Amino acid sequence: MELSALRRLLQNIADTDDQELSCTECLERVPQYVDLEVAGQDDDRTMFPLQRHLRQCSVCREEYEALRDLVLDTDRRPPDSD
Amino acid sequence: MKARANPEWLAALKAEGALQTAALSDLRVYLLRASRYALSRSRNAPRLATTDLDQLAEDCAQDALSSVLEHLEEFRGESRFTTWAYAFAINAALAAARRERWGRVSFDRLLEQPDLVARLGGASVAPATPQRRALQGEMLSALRDAIETQLTPRQRHALTAIVFEGVPLDELARHWRSNRNALYKLLHDARRKLKTHLRTRGFDPQEMLDAFSEDA
Repeated sequence: MELSALRRLLQNIADTDDQELSCTECLERVPQYVDLEVAGQDDDRTMFPLQRHLRQCSVCREEYEALRDLVLDTDRRPPDSD
Repeated sequence: MKARANPEWLAALKAEGALQTAALSDLRVYLLRASRYALSRSRNAPRLATTDLDQLAEDCAQDALSSVLEHLEEFRGESRFTTWAYAFAINAALAAARRERWGRVSFDRLLEQPDLVARLGGASVAPATPQRRALQGEMLSALRDAIETQLTPRQRHALTAIVFEGVPLDELARHWRSNRNALYKLLHDARRKLKTHLRTRGFDPQEMLDAFSEDA
């Protein structure tokens, strides 16, 4: 049996809240969250629901991580230096 | 390229003539960079040839440009404009990569695989003492009971596909002719029911996770 999948399922259940953001609500907030995170200001409690959704939703998480890493990369290297 | 603050971007994109043309040109550069970046790191895109990836990146950047212009009035200035715009290209590219990876998978066959309950076999973490093994057995029994008594068939299929088969949520939604938000809500409801039922049986999900942890 896939133990890692069981652990994922249990982690998802444990981290469940009564109210959670939808994917649309999450993605609306991600650009702001990324800029805050890049600036080292991401410990705002208002972002906790977003962080929970990102832990639960691998699709949103993939999109968030790509955006975050791109912004970090772009800040070091502007687009027209490609 | 010209560096612009948020108000400058908005003003230029809404303007006419050379000012708008220059802003659109610069925005295309940003969006193409974002779509290429997303595809280069997507675990769903490696099967594509380089030329196909380049074309896909161009297509996604063009789609993103249309979306940015369509949603321009919704930009609230809570982030940098470029970060907000990048998100359109990244989302388009990653969604395209997931479709490429999963578009030819037979979901019907995949969902015929043993589902959640069947897969919750005699799992245990080695080394396990007899007491720990017994506890794990009780926990698995409670989880199986929760799944069988609390979840709808659709919820069981969704959890099986996403948690055990690694199917992306948006791809399963597309297969079911649903949407991402509806499927997320379906799963959220399932998780809430499981959590509530486990607690009524005296099991805390975090403690269950700890019991199946290798360093417990």
